[in-house]
Amino acid sequence: MNIRCFPRKFSSALPPLVPLQLPSPMETHLWYILPNEVKSVALLNQYSELLSPCERENVNRMGGDQLKKRALLARALVRTTIARYQTNCQMNPRSLKFRKNIYGKPEVEWKNDDNFSPPPLHFNISHTSSMIACGVTVNVPIGIDVEGKQRKIKNDIIAFAQRYFSPCEVKLLTAISDSEIQRQEFIKLWTLKEAYVKALGKGFSAVPFKTFTIRFKASTIRCFHLPGNSVSEASEVIVESSDDPKNLPNNWQFALLEVAASHYVAICTEKDKIVGGEANRPMKLTVRKTIPFVEDVCVSGTDAVLVLGGIIEQ
Amino acid sequence: MASITGASLKFTSLSNSFKQTQVPLRGISVNYVSFQSHRMQPGSLRFRVSCAAKPETVDKVCEIVRKQLALPNDSSITGESKFAALGADSLDTVEIVMGLEEEFGISVEEESAQSITTVQDAADLIEKLREKNSA
Repeated sequence: MNIRCFPRKFSSALPPLVPLQLPSPMETHLWYILPNEVKSVALLNQYSELLSPCERENVNRMGGDQLKKRALLARALVRTTIARYQTNCQMNPRSLKFRKNIYGKPEVEWKNDDNFSPPPLHFNISHTSSMIACGVTVNVPIGIDVEGKQRKIKNDIIAFAQRYFSPCEVKLLTAISDSEIQRQEFIKLWTLKEAYVKALGKGFSAVPFKTFTIRFKASTIRCFHLPGNSVSEASEVIVESSDDPKNLPNNWQFALLEVAASHYVAICTEKDKIVGGEANRPMKLTVRKTIPFVEDVCVSGTDAVLVLGGIIEQ
Repeated sequence: MASITGASLKFTSLSNSFKQTQVPLRGISVNYVSFQSHRMQPGSLRFRVSCAAKPETVDKVCEIVRKQLALPNDSSITGESKFAALGADSLDTVEIVMGLEEEFGISVEEESAQSITTVQDAADLIEKLREKNSA
């Protein structure tokens, strides 16, 4: 099979993208691709047409086919997902421009026309070998992190925690005697911490993991929710400064999920103050498995999404 | 196997056994690394002769990276290899840094972690920190 693929000016060969409604305030959309489900070479070639020359170069630099495919799918997921949202402008996935903030967090660079006000869309992606995910919100920043449930840690977990995590977190992990459970709790904590620093837009280097503690708190929130919605009230996830635990940065909310029975996904978003974010309201969450141009499957409220932490409404 | 033509990217086939697209540099990796350190860095006038890390350091970093990322023995890792291009995610990178700290008896501030993107970056930082330790 030898498919030639040239960058084209017009996307006439690509099927149209199904449009989407923007998430509402306090709502998060989570999209994910399982790379193993994308097998069509023709489709991968179509995805590569969407990328900027710079992105194609980055994909090419990855070592080996699997890494190239993963990098390609990640860019395709971001471009197609953002382009689908109905905003005051028609977005072409190929023409979207991206830039990085001073800490390296990618963001959309909207056109700077006179009459154009950029949509309040925020996104963040994460990928691991077997899942690529993209979270989308309006008005507020978002950070997400994905890790395979079975991921093995090469270093000693407690030594790693002592080096990088807060004393409170080390204590919690040390108290777990079962090594498998300890490994799982470590990964969950890692994804939550990563999601937080990515939501902050600063990343690991600017917000060392030792400077804050993430922990679970039994939820005391009584949620009023519409019949038909499911609200998980297992436990709340909170973040505290290591130096000043009483002074809680209370404006961040978290979700910790087990997705497709195979991955931990952590989501962190800022609470939307305009919507009365001071009170503890559930995070509305819509989770969809997707193959761009091919299909979306809404998996919210199914076995594919297990809520492990956070007050979540699906 | 993926191949590149100019600005386009084409996949010709996907098979379960993926061949590495780079030629492995078995047996001559030490010389290759030394050659790297004598080259002018593109885009800058930085000569790497005197401040490049020793080949042994680079080799050791390669070994730690290879182990962390579970790369096959014949996969090519050189000073120029970018962690991300080898498939390292954020947790891998931190695990690698921790492995380097233990191996070389150094402490890498989180702030520096951002600047380590290649094997050579890591090796150079290791040498710098070791020099500081022994000063």
